[in-house]
Amino acid sequence: MSLLAAAGIPTSKGFTAAAAEPSALDWRILRRILTHTRPYAAKRNTIFALTVARAIQKPAMAWAIAAVINGPITGGDYRGAVWGAAGFFALAVLTELTFHFRQRLQLELGEAVVHDLRNDVFQQLQRMPLSYFNKTKLGRILGRVITDIESVRRGVQNVFFFSLLAFGQMAGAAGLMLYYNWVLFCVLLAVGPLVWLTNRHFHPRLSVHSRAAAESQSRLTGSVAETVKGMRVIQGYARQRESDDRYGRLIDRHSDNNVGLAHESSLYLPLLELHSQVFLAALLVVGGYGALHGFAGMEIGSLIAFFFLPSLFFQSLQHLGNLYTQAITSMAGAERVFQLLDLKPDWTDAPHALDLPDPRTAHGRADAPASATTPGTKGARVEFRDVSFAYEPGRMVLNNLCFTAAAGETVALVGHTGSGKTSIVNLIAKFYLPTSGDILIDGQEIRTLRGESLRSQMGIVLQTNFLFTGTVLENIRLGRPGATDAEVRAAATSLDCLDLLESLPQGFATEVGERGTSLSLGQRQLICFTRALLANPRILILDEATSSVDTITESRLQHALDRLLATRTSFVVAHRLSTIRRADQILVLDQGCIVERGPHLQLLARRGAYHALYRQFALAE
Amino acid sequence: MRLLGLCWQQRAGCLQVLACQILLLTLGLAGLSFTGLGIDYLRSILQPGSPAPRWLFGFQPPADWTPMQVVSAIAGAVITAAVLRALLTWLSGISLARLVHRGLVADLQATVYAKLQRLSFSFFDRQSTGAILNRATGDIQSIRTFVDTVMIQSIVTIVSLGLYMSYMLSIHVGLTFACLATLPLLWTACILFSRAVHPQYVHGRELFDRMILTLAECVQGVNVIKGFAREREMAARFEADNLAVKSQQQKIFWRVSTFSPALDLLTQVNLVVLFIYGGKLVIDGVLPLGTGLVVFAGLLQQFSNQVSATAQIANGVQESLTGAGRVFEILDAPLGVQSPDRPHPLPVCRGAVRFEQVTFDYTAGNSVLQSVDFAVAPGECVAIVGETGSGKSALLSLIPRFYDPAAGRVLIDGHDVRTLDVQELRRHVGMVFQESFLFSDTVAANIGFAKAGATSDELIAAASAARAHEFITALPEGYATVLGESGVDLSGGQRQRLAIARALLANPSILLLDDPTAAIDPETEHEILGAIENAIAGRTTFIVAHRLSTLQRADRIIVLQQGRIVATGTHHELLQREGSYRRAALLQMVDDESRALLIAASHEVEAAV
Repeated sequence: MSLLAAAGIPTSKGFTAAAAEPSALDWRILRRILTHTRPYAAKRNTIFALTVARAIQKPAMAWAIAAVINGPITGGDYRGAVWGAAGFFALAVLTELTFHFRQRLQLELGEAVVHDLRNDVFQQLQRMPLSYFNKTKLGRILGRVITDIESVRRGVQNVFFFSLLAFGQMAGAAGLMLYYNWVLFCVLLAVGPLVWLTNRHFHPRLSVHSRAAAESQSRLTGSVAETVKGMRVIQGYARQRESDDRYGRLIDRHSDNNVGLAHESSLYLPLLELHSQVFLAALLVVGGYGALHGFAGMEIGSLIAFFFLPSLFFQSLQHLGNLYTQAITSMAGAERVFQLLDLKPDWTDAPHALDLPDPRTAHGRADAPASATTPGTKGARVEFRDVSFAYEPGRMVLNNLCFTAAAGETVALVGHTGSGKTSIVNLIAKFYLPTSGDILIDGQEIRTLRGESLRSQMGIVLQTNFLFTGTVLENIRLGRPGATDAEVRAAATSLDCLDLLESLPQGFATEVGERGTSLSLGQRQLICFTRALLANPRILILDEATSSVDTITESRLQHALDRLLATRTSFVVAHRLSTIRRADQILVLDQGCIVERGPHLQLLARRGAYHALYRQFALAE
Repeated sequence: MRLLGLCWQQRAGCLQVLACQILLLTLGLAGLSFTGLGIDYLRSILQPGSPAPRWLFGFQPPADWTPMQVVSAIAGAVITAAVLRALLTWLSGISLARLVHRGLVADLQATVYAKLQRLSFSFFDRQSTGAILNRATGDIQSIRTFVDTVMIQSIVTIVSLGLYMSYMLSIHVGLTFACLATLPLLWTACILFSRAVHPQYVHGRELFDRMILTLAECVQGVNVIKGFAREREMAARFEADNLAVKSQQQKIFWRVSTFSPALDLLTQVNLVVLFIYGGKLVIDGVLPLGTGLVVFAGLLQQFSNQVSATAQIANGVQESLTGAGRVFEILDAPLGVQSPDRPHPLPVCRGAVRFEQVTFDYTAGNSVLQSVDFAVAPGECVAIVGETGSGKSALLSLIPRFYDPAAGRVLIDGHDVRTLDVQELRRHVGMVFQESFLFSDTVAANIGFAKAGATSDELIAAASAARAHEFITALPEGYATVLGESGVDLSGGQRQRLAIARALLANPSILLLDDPTAAIDPETEHEILGAIENAIAGRTTFIVAHRLSTLQRADRIIVLQQGRIVATGTHHELLQREGSYRRAALLQMVDDESRALLIAASHEVEAAV
């Protein structure tokens, strides 16, 4: 290996990765990462062996070059030179074979560990109750999976084995140089601290600059994203020129950061190179003096050896410095991943929780619930017994609620914002557990039921619903993955909205776009209704589901909704009078308490809280 | 070719960078040969039999110098070369960064951004946000790479290969060719490898993105997934996506870890050739040891580095070119809606709007509006109702000329909108959409967006009219509160009121309200109804609405069905007629029985008073 190799312009990879956080190595985390490699112990141990082998091979090759030049070639032994070359070649083949296996296994090991970690994180996320997702931003979770797990990969792939390799090479090169000539080695050691100091000086600066550049880059991207999303507003108000200026300033800052980074790195790299040149010059002077004056047993041979060996030494030293910062980053990443994995869900289904018996599958078809159009069973009986609930301890949202919804009944929940309507819905779906009291579904306490089995008999439509990337058909089919196209169409027909869905640009095959943005709110809502109907739920929850549908579409939906509600137990939160007045039972809520209950006309006649609310809604209409 | 044109605009910078690079190479060679010279000189002194060193450039040290002085001089030369090199590297690094970041890329970014802002909406309808973002950021980066690595590096590489080659040739012709025999092989291997592995990388990236998308949607749609008990399906999907990433990576790993050792081995073969053939030459005394063999070994190393770098570049060229192509696509996209060359001035707008047999489609042949014909007097309030997808929003978007109709005319104050200056036209039109977009900026900046240089009094007046002043002053920093991802979250009603304030600020004569209450919690809807009431006063207003109270208030209601006007009239007129409007309105109205109970109650209350 020549010194010139070190003089080549290295990639900036090392800098961008080095988001150095000043913390020491944490052995506990290290050990935990290692436990994740346990399923691949054979692979891991092979890599260790190969790494050690390679650490020996590389100095050996440098030595071989020097030996061939010094020995047979300088000595004029041509046969010896050929043999030497052959030996060198054999060594090279062996080294490269080791290289291949070491690299491949190492990359594979890293990928395997990362793959497992990602699955672990996903499973952990699925165990989390809804409250976790309300508290945690998507960006943070994605950060764990993208950035942090990737830095664990780098840790596994590079840091473990490369640091071993770098140490080995350094030791090997140092040993050989010591063997050749200790005085020259001392000269080399004198340059060592210089290299180290340079690294120390520049590394933090480089990482500061590269972070600044990354940040201004992301701000630039964010600005473009905002412009594209807000294009209607910008063009509508004819503000293009001002936006140009704003963007121009961001570009300026970004290019300043980039130039700043270039300033540092184009100082750093030449300086490193300068060190090796200084060493070469010193080598010539000291070595030359030694050779000329017969000092310290120096001869041309050792000078030539020193021409090849130091680069190995310096490279390894530099590499170790990079690896250290990398190790710290990986460690920080791993720590955050493990924190997520160690997070205890607030609650989980009880270990002995049972499935809610499903009468829909009792007669005949086991896999798919009865066709969405034929009224199935009557729905489930839902009973609240003295239920109280708080999202945060001490701040009760629901107080001692008692009510029963008989199978097939429609219950309307009415009240002002914050009166607890949505909380009741959340409890029925077992998104949260009641703080005290019991909720019985078909006579079984909700804590003894598996949440998943309960919700598989439930359909929920909210005011705004999430649509997944994919076609309209795929989104509807989420309600029942096994449904045929005909069944999906049948569900849409029974909602009287088949023509509206078919009139979309590509009908059922229309892509809903990013988070459903290519569809109007009304169209999105139709998809969600059809999705809920397709699931043929026994319990149906409509939480302000028609609020964002325009009036004319709603009037078409209304008739269909009546039929939909008739055959199942339904809970409806709504301000639209039409929905409320047909309910079998209206619960009027105020600050977490039921203040009135009964059917529409009866409540109106009572002229209490419901009467007042209804008047208010009627006036708003 | 256009890329080269771009570079030509920055030719001074480009040339400077190139000159630096070439000087650097020469100096590097000089440094290497000085070291070789030193070794040769020492050898000639110590081993009298060996050949005399070849002095460079005919320079000979004075005869009276002691060997030690000569060695020191050589060492000094090595250091001088190194210092010079370091200086030059620094210089060229900076000028390259200046050239690329400050010159080329910054210009391109600004141009693309400016162009994006002036493209018509049909462009944005056709493209997903992600695709546009990629062009404005990623693809511009790939142009950067093109200039940075392809243009500059490849020239540098070619020049340096030439220099190395001629230096080696000057030492020994035969040895040079023998040692470089594997060069074509190396080159082919690199190209083949890049071709084979690049699509794999792209595919791997796609798989990774898909996995992340699945994860992100599972988090965003956790309500839906848990609500429909689809955890198992989603877990299976994620695991499948994750596994796909892993197996794709394994494929790449196999190739990568076969390639680099193979490349290394080829380099070692060169060394072996050097030992056998070069060794013979040294033994025969034809080749000096230092300036010959040792320097050769160093150069060979450099050679293979350069060759593999070039292969990487060859690989990048294709990618950069496609990226550049996509950027130019934006720059070349037709503007669509454009002001005429000599627009009709309209400094004051009364607000008369007329649609003359307007037919419109987003994509040809897929009519959204058909022969829509109506006239609105200044100050009139027109409500538009219709089923989802019946063309309500499309109708509104023709007024500020977001699109041009396929047939017919839209007239403002008697002028076809196509004869007006687009910017001027839009200044007369204020608009509020279903879900209002607010920028991640301060409240004041968001309201003030409608009018450059608005005073704070104007801002407050607009906010008060939109009934937003009160909640704004209650925010942590009032009008200076930053909204958006990292800032304060507002409720739907608050956002809409800000949007209304924004629309009112410029005091437009025409106001478009596209279902502003749709995405709002019904409970807080009344908050913005008052704001709307204020906004409508004295302006020509088009409102897409479904609240009876709003509809009753409108001077006229237009009922749309599949792009056609099926009925117009006041609320009371339409209520008399059989039709979809009547059905919908009746549904919202209080039924007779309930009304009797309500009225009875209010009578009693009145009686009690």
